[in-house]
Amino acid sequence: ELIDRCIGSKIWVIMKNDREFTGTLLGFDDFVNMVLEDVTEFETTPQGKKTTKLNQTLLNGNNICMLIPGSDGPDQ
Amino acid sequence: MDDDSTPPPPANDAPAPPPPALNSGSPTDFLKGVVGKRVVVRLTSGVDYRGVLSCLDGYMNIALEQTEEHVNGRVINRYGDAFIRGNNVLYISAAEAI
Repeated sequence: ELIDRCIGSKIWVIMKNDREFTGTLLGFDDFVNMVLEDVTEFETTPQGKKTTKLNQTLLNGNNICMLIPGSDGPDQ
Repeated sequence: MDDDSTPPPPANDAPAPPPPALNSGSPTDFLKGVVGKRVVVRLTSGVDYRGVLSCLDGYMNIALEQTEEHVNGRVINRYGDAFIRGNNVLYISAAEAI
Protein backbone atom coordinates (compact mmCIF):
# COMPACT_ATOMS: atom_id res chain seq x y z
CA GLU A 1 0.00 0.00 0.00
CA LEU A 2 2.89 2.33 0.71
CA ILE A 3 4.19 1.80 -2.79
CA ASP A 4 0.65 2.16 -4.13
CA ARG A 5 0.65 5.78 -3.04
CA CYS A 6 3.66 6.45 -5.22
CA ILE A 7 2.07 5.31 -8.45
CA GLY A 8 2.04 8.21 -10.87
CA SER A 9 4.75 10.18 -9.16
CA LYS A 10 8.52 10.31 -9.35
CA ILE A 11 10.46 7.71 -7.48
CA TRP A 12 14.13 7.06 -6.83
CA VAL A 13 15.13 3.41 -6.80
CA ILE A 14 18.44 2.34 -5.30
CA MET A 15 19.80 -1.10 -6.17
CA LYS A 16 22.04 -3.34 -4.14
CA ASN A 17 25.01 -2.71 -6.40
CA ASP A 18 25.87 1.03 -6.73
CA ARG A 19 23.21 1.64 -9.34
CA GLU A 20 20.20 3.94 -9.13
CA PHE A 21 17.17 4.71 -11.25
CA THR A 22 14.75 7.60 -11.22
CA GLY A 23 11.49 7.78 -13.08
CA THR A 24 7.73 7.91 -12.87
CA LEU A 25 6.24 4.84 -11.24
CA LEU A 26 3.67 3.18 -13.45
CA GLY A 27 3.18 0.04 -11.41
CA PHE A 28 4.64 -2.89 -9.59
CA ASP A 29 3.86 -6.45 -8.57
CA ASP A 30 4.15 -8.71 -5.53
CA PHE A 31 7.88 -9.19 -6.08
CA VAL A 32 8.37 -5.42 -6.30
CA ASN A 33 9.38 -5.65 -9.93
CA MET A 34 8.71 -2.07 -11.00
CA VAL A 35 7.52 -0.48 -14.23
CA LEU A 36 8.96 3.02 -14.64
CA GLU A 37 8.72 5.65 -17.34
CA ASP A 38 11.16 8.36 -18.43
CA VAL A 39 13.90 6.56 -16.60
CA THR A 40 17.40 7.81 -15.86
CA GLU A 41 19.97 5.26 -14.84
CA PHE A 42 22.85 6.32 -12.60
CA GLU A 43 25.97 4.30 -12.03
CA THR A 44 27.57 5.65 -8.90
CA THR A 45 30.96 4.00 -9.20
CA PRO A 46 32.39 6.04 -12.09
CA GLN A 47 31.19 9.21 -10.29
CA GLY A 48 28.11 10.42 -12.08
CA LYS A 49 27.93 8.35 -15.26
CA LYS A 50 24.39 8.52 -16.60
CA THR A 51 22.31 6.71 -19.18
CA THR A 52 18.87 8.04 -20.02
CA LYS A 53 16.26 5.60 -21.24
CA LEU A 54 12.85 6.85 -22.26
CA ASN A 55 9.66 4.87 -22.81
CA GLN A 56 8.97 2.22 -20.27
CA THR A 57 11.28 0.01 -18.28
CA LEU A 58 10.63 -3.07 -16.19
CA LEU A 59 13.09 -3.15 -13.32
CA ASN A 60 13.83 -6.53 -11.79
CA GLY A 61 12.87 -6.47 -8.12
CA ASN A 62 15.60 -8.96 -7.28
CA ASN A 63 18.23 -6.23 -7.09
CA ILE A 64 16.15 -3.41 -5.66
CA CYS A 65 17.29 -2.23 -2.24
CA MET A 66 15.53 1.03 -1.47
CA LEU A 67 12.69 3.20 -2.75
CA ILE A 68 12.50 6.95 -2.21
CA PRO A 69 9.27 8.48 -3.43
CA GLY A 70 8.96 11.98 -4.79
CA SER A 71 12.68 12.44 -5.38
CA ASP A 72 14.68 13.44 -8.44
CA GLY A 73 17.53 11.18 -7.45
CA PRO A 74 21.16 11.63 -6.46
CA ASP A 75 21.34 14.99 -8.24
CA GLN A 76 18.93 16.58 -5.81
CA MET B 1 -36.30 -30.68 -31.02
CA ASP B 2 -37.64 -27.35 -29.93
CA ASP B 3 -35.82 -25.94 -26.97
CA ASP B 4 -37.42 -22.72 -25.84
CA SER B 5 -36.50 -23.11 -22.19
CA THR B 6 -33.53 -20.77 -22.42
CA PRO B 7 -34.50 -17.22 -23.32
CA PRO B 8 -32.28 -15.51 -25.84
CA PRO B 9 -29.50 -13.53 -24.21
CA PRO B 10 -30.37 -9.85 -23.83
CA ALA B 11 -28.68 -7.47 -26.22
CA ASN B 12 -25.62 -6.31 -24.39
CA ASP B 13 -24.69 -2.73 -25.10
CA ALA B 14 -22.41 -2.51 -22.10
CA PRO B 15 -18.79 -1.71 -22.94
CA ALA B 16 -16.00 -4.17 -22.24
CA PRO B 17 -15.32 -4.80 -18.56
CA PRO B 18 -13.03 -2.23 -16.97
CA PRO B 19 -9.33 -3.00 -17.17
CA PRO B 20 -7.85 -4.67 -14.10
CA ALA B 21 -6.44 -2.45 -11.38
CA LEU B 22 -2.99 -1.15 -12.26
CA ASN B 23 -1.50 -2.68 -9.15
CA SER B 24 -2.34 -6.19 -10.21
CA GLY B 25 -1.20 -5.88 -13.80
CA SER B 26 1.52 -3.39 -14.44
CA PRO B 27 4.54 -5.60 -15.07
CA THR B 28 2.39 -8.16 -16.88
CA ASP B 29 0.73 -5.41 -18.90
CA PHE B 30 4.13 -4.01 -19.76
CA LEU B 31 5.35 -7.42 -20.85
CA LYS B 32 2.31 -8.01 -23.04
CA GLY B 33 2.75 -4.62 -24.63
CA VAL B 34 6.44 -4.91 -25.31
CA VAL B 35 6.49 -8.27 -27.09
CA GLY B 36 7.49 -7.76 -30.70
CA LYS B 37 9.16 -4.44 -30.01
CA ARG B 38 12.80 -3.53 -29.87
CA VAL B 39 14.06 -3.70 -26.30
CA VAL B 40 17.23 -3.19 -24.33
CA VAL B 41 17.89 -5.93 -21.81
CA ARG B 42 20.58 -5.17 -19.27
CA LEU B 43 21.99 -7.91 -17.13
CA THR B 44 23.34 -7.52 -13.63
CA SER B 45 26.79 -7.94 -15.18
CA GLY B 46 26.27 -4.65 -17.05
CA VAL B 47 26.12 -6.21 -20.52
CA ASP B 48 23.42 -4.85 -22.82
CA TYR B 49 21.44 -6.83 -25.35
CA ARG B 50 19.41 -4.96 -27.94
CA GLY B 51 16.97 -6.85 -30.07
CA VAL B 52 13.37 -7.61 -30.91
CA LEU B 53 11.56 -9.31 -28.08
CA SER B 54 10.18 -12.64 -29.24
CA CYS B 55 8.75 -13.79 -25.97
CA LEU B 56 9.34 -13.95 -22.28
CA ASP B 57 7.90 -15.58 -19.20
CA GLY B 58 7.21 -14.83 -15.57
CA TYR B 59 10.80 -15.57 -14.60
CA MET B 60 12.00 -12.86 -16.99
CA ASN B 61 13.54 -15.51 -19.23
CA ILE B 62 13.78 -13.75 -22.58
CA ALA B 63 13.95 -14.78 -26.22
CA LEU B 64 15.31 -12.11 -28.54
CA GLU B 65 15.79 -11.86 -32.29
CA GLN B 66 18.36 -9.81 -34.19
CA THR B 67 20.34 -9.31 -31.01
CA GLU B 68 23.35 -7.10 -30.54
CA GLU B 69 25.55 -7.52 -27.50
CA HIS B 70 26.91 -4.23 -26.16
CA VAL B 71 29.72 -3.99 -23.66
CA ASN B 72 30.97 -0.56 -22.63
CA GLY B 73 28.85 0.93 -25.38
CA ARG B 74 30.49 -1.10 -28.12
CA VAL B 75 28.83 -3.85 -30.12
CA ILE B 76 30.85 -6.97 -29.62
CA ASN B 77 28.55 -9.67 -30.98
CA ARG B 78 25.46 -10.29 -33.02
CA TYR B 79 23.09 -13.20 -32.67
CA GLY B 80 20.15 -14.25 -34.82
CA ASP B 81 18.36 -15.69 -31.82
CA ALA B 82 19.26 -15.27 -28.19
CA PHE B 83 17.87 -16.77 -25.01
CA ILE B 84 18.58 -15.05 -21.73
CA ARG B 85 17.97 -16.68 -18.37
CA GLY B 86 15.79 -14.44 -16.26
CA ASN B 87 17.78 -14.52 -13.05
CA ASN B 88 20.50 -12.43 -14.71
CA VAL B 89 18.18 -9.70 -15.95
CA LEU B 90 18.50 -6.28 -14.35
CA TYR B 91 15.94 -4.53 -16.53
CA ILE B 92 13.98 -4.70 -19.74
CA SER B 93 13.52 -1.33 -21.40
CA ALA B 94 11.50 -0.49 -24.51
CA ALA B 95 13.79 0.92 -27.15
CA GLU B 96 10.81 2.15 -29.15
CA ALA B 97 7.50 3.62 -28.06
CA ILE B 98 4.93 1.05 -27.02
